[in-house]
Amino acid sequence: MYGFHGRLLRIDLTTQSYTWQDIESSRLTAVLGGVGLGASLLYDHAPPGVEPFSADNPLIFTSAPLVGTGLTTTAKYAVVTKSPLTGFIADSLSSSFFALELKRLGVDALVITGAAEQPTYLLITDDGAEFRTASHLTGLSAQETEERIRHAVRTEEEAEVRVAAIGRAGENLVRFATLSNEGRHAGRGGVGAVFGAKRLKAVALRGRCRVAVADTGAVEKIATTLRERSVGPQTAKYREIGTVANLAVFDRLGSLPTYNFQNTPFAQAEALSGESFITNSFSQTHGCAACTIRCERLFRSLNGEAQRLEYETLFALGPLCGIEEPDAVLRAARLCDRYGLDTISTGGTIAWATECADKGLWPELRETGLSFGNAEAILALLPDIAHRQGVGAILAEGSRLAATRIGAEAEGFAMHVKGMELPGYEPRSLKTMALGLAVSPRGACHNRSGAYEADFSGQVDRLQADAGRGALVAASEDFSAVLDSLIVCKFLRKCFDDFYADTAHLMSAVTGWNYTATDLKQVGERINTLKKLFNMREGWRPEDDWLPPRLLTEPLSSGVAQGVSLTPDELRLMIQSYYAARGWNEEGLVREEKKRELGL
Amino acid sequence: MGRPKALLPFDGKPLIAHLVQRLSQRFSDIVVVAAQDQTLPSLPVTLVHDAVAYQGPVGGIYYGLRAIRGTAAFVTSCDVPFLQLPFIDYLVSQLNHHGRDYDVVVPVWQDRLQPLHAVYRRSVVPHLQEQLAAQRLRPVYLYDTVPTRKVSPAEIERFDPEGMSFLNMNTQADYQAALAQWRTLSVPISCTVELFGVARLTARTSRVPLTLSAEATLGDALTVLGVECPALLGSVLSADEAGHASLQSGYTCNINGQDFVRDAHTRLRAGDSLLILSSDAGG
Ligand code: SF4
Repeated sequence: MYGFHGRLLRIDLTTQSYTWQDIESSRLTAVLGGVGLGASLLYDHAPPGVEPFSADNPLIFTSAPLVGTGLTTTAKYAVVTKSPLTGFIADSLSSSFFALELKRLGVDALVITGAAEQPTYLLITDDGAEFRTASHLTGLSAQETEERIRHAVRTEEEAEVRVAAIGRAGENLVRFATLSNEGRHAGRGGVGAVFGAKRLKAVALRGRCRVAVADTGAVEKIATTLRERSVGPQTAKYREIGTVANLAVFDRLGSLPTYNFQNTPFAQAEALSGESFITNSFSQTHGCAACTIRCERLFRSLNGEAQRLEYETLFALGPLCGIEEPDAVLRAARLCDRYGLDTISTGGTIAWATECADKGLWPELRETGLSFGNAEAILALLPDIAHRQGVGAILAEGSRLAATRIGAEAEGFAMHVKGMELPGYEPRSLKTMALGLAVSPRGACHNRSGAYEADFSGQVDRLQADAGRGALVAASEDFSAVLDSLIVCKFLRKCFDDFYADTAHLMSAVTGWNYTATDLKQVGERINTLKKLFNMREGWRPEDDWLPPRLLTEPLSSGVAQGVSLTPDELRLMIQSYYAARGWNEEGLVREEKKRELGL
Repeated sequence: MGRPKALLPFDGKPLIAHLVQRLSQRFSDIVVVAAQDQTLPSLPVTLVHDAVAYQGPVGGIYYGLRAIRGTAAFVTSCDVPFLQLPFIDYLVSQLNHHGRDYDVVVPVWQDRLQPLHAVYRRSVVPHLQEQLAAQRLRPVYLYDTVPTRKVSPAEIERFDPEGMSFLNMNTQADYQAALAQWRTLSVPISCTVELFGVARLTARTSRVPLTLSAEATLGDALTVLGVECPALLGSVLSADEAGHASLQSGYTCNINGQDFVRDAHTRLRAGDSLLILSSDAGG
């Protein structure tokens, strides 16, 4: 088999055993790897209605056909499970050498079930899995854990391993805890907490399998073209500044959420802009393994430490919480990385709590001094969340569950979809994105579709809702599903001439199977439908595809989008158009004919 | 109005002299069709006269097209002071639209076809001749006969939001209003370019104030921007041989935080802010 290995390793932490299982090639052609294969395996391996923190909830790592082929930006893996934050599918991506090592294990997936009795880490090689104690690693950050394990294996066994690990937040089942490797994070949806529930501190990998492709010459040719394009003007923003470049633009376009989505723009946007960070505190450029774009930027704090910063982190720990000082954002980002907290959900949950404090709805917050812009009070909350102590124990549940403890008024401004906190895109001034956020299977997500592209390109009137958006969002989700299942980094997406035709050609060259553009388009639709089917099985209701009340009742009060609102009728119209574009029924349920058509 | 409309003075010069001057920025062959007894100032044009009087626009178009050297012509009346060259360029470009060839490109403005602000191929001459012989003097007969591309108001508004191109003068009051408008248009406008991302880092500034002619387009502004910030040329802007600048792929422009525009012909207004940003916003 080319491109794939055609098997998975199933590991049971309870019985400390493992087995190899074949994966049908029909499954691999139908859903590729990455999030597609992850969704497919989750559907089959998770018992219906499984509790996210129960031993039976599978934790699934998937590789993908392009990983290890040398194509730029493809060193990625997916980790898929039932999310403790949303109760629906969590499919997160991370990248770099851990991803390459996973592919070298000679499997397309790891399916980890059960729960260990004691803190454990797994050492997985192409010979199988070893269950090792992680008691000495408890409380360490992911980075420290990674270093300790690598050092131990290097000195004791003279071997190199690649490690993904959780920090304190994951150990303490914070519902938005991350899994990290080499400074990259599988950030959203709380996969780190599922690790914690299994008392699994880390996974270390060492593989020896080589990746074979069907047509080496053709793959190399495509790789050369993509490599050349990846350093052209289409990716200049990522190469020169990184995603932090979004902040100033979003602010100017009335699309930067601030103060818990109470308004845009942000008075101190200039100081927090990516351009200012680059000019004032640039430290280093990093990139994932096998990437020619290298979008990661590290910035220097006042204490001299270098910290990685992305737009979403900058938005969530900056304007969303009213924080104006660049250094405070860097410090908060460092703490989140140290504890293994998803920065978007952390910022979103704290911004919500801050508004509760402002409105006097949560008396216990009084002694924390929490208020918008009070960086020290916000920084002090981060360890409390990670350790689940004081008010942090409630915040560790995420804004949706926390709000149910505080009361109906507080629920009205808990800014989440399906329990997942919103990313830094103001839905009222980005109407296509508003729909994308409402219907996304994993909750408010900016990665599993690029719905904002229609808004930011002038393809549509971003301030108005209409019935054309459903088809745009569905197409964008399908496109992303294919990207995330091949896997190719989304920052390479503009380097293709004709995405589906080009990737069909590429997949044919890699696997030796004959793919057409139409096949791949259908793969995208199949993956998104599969995720929906999983969510339906786990209790999805039509009201889960909706936006927080604030967005549907309060117009924006200043900036270029002043006065712009989003009404429930407009959202309903767009959602109906999305279900129609997907061929689902009016309630958003997948019809039997559609399942048959997609072979599900 | 006391004298032929083509001779009404603007800035002390007859209107037709202004029209010829403006059109000569785009066209090397200009034909003026005059009435049999009409005298005109000396102009760098080919002058022809109606062979038969009172045949309306069809007659004028027919005699004009017969005299052109090329294969197609933009046709206008002589009483329109505010012709917009970018819009005329667009009309000419529409002779071939989505791979289809057209013989006529005619705008529709305020629900009316505008035959005297349209582009015609010379190949329609025999049809016009037949029409004249049959005394069918309305241009619309031609449009029903040959492939005709009708340009919608939405398309027109991209270049000429107020439809100034079609503003003609029939009364003394019209003339006075046009004169007043003429004066405001001769005043230059100020716009600001706001640079984001790579453009800002390259130019080492976030804002560039520009002074532009009253009828400046996005293309004009980018050309001036290239002069003001030469560092942008080659990375964010490209310039052609004539020195006209445009945005490189990977960059886009938004006006006033509202509309994303790439069309170089887009007209600017006083006070506009031009945001230059990565075309890959988000991510
Ligand atoms: S562009 Fe950035 S995120 Fe994508 S592969 Fe390269 S370094 Fe990683």
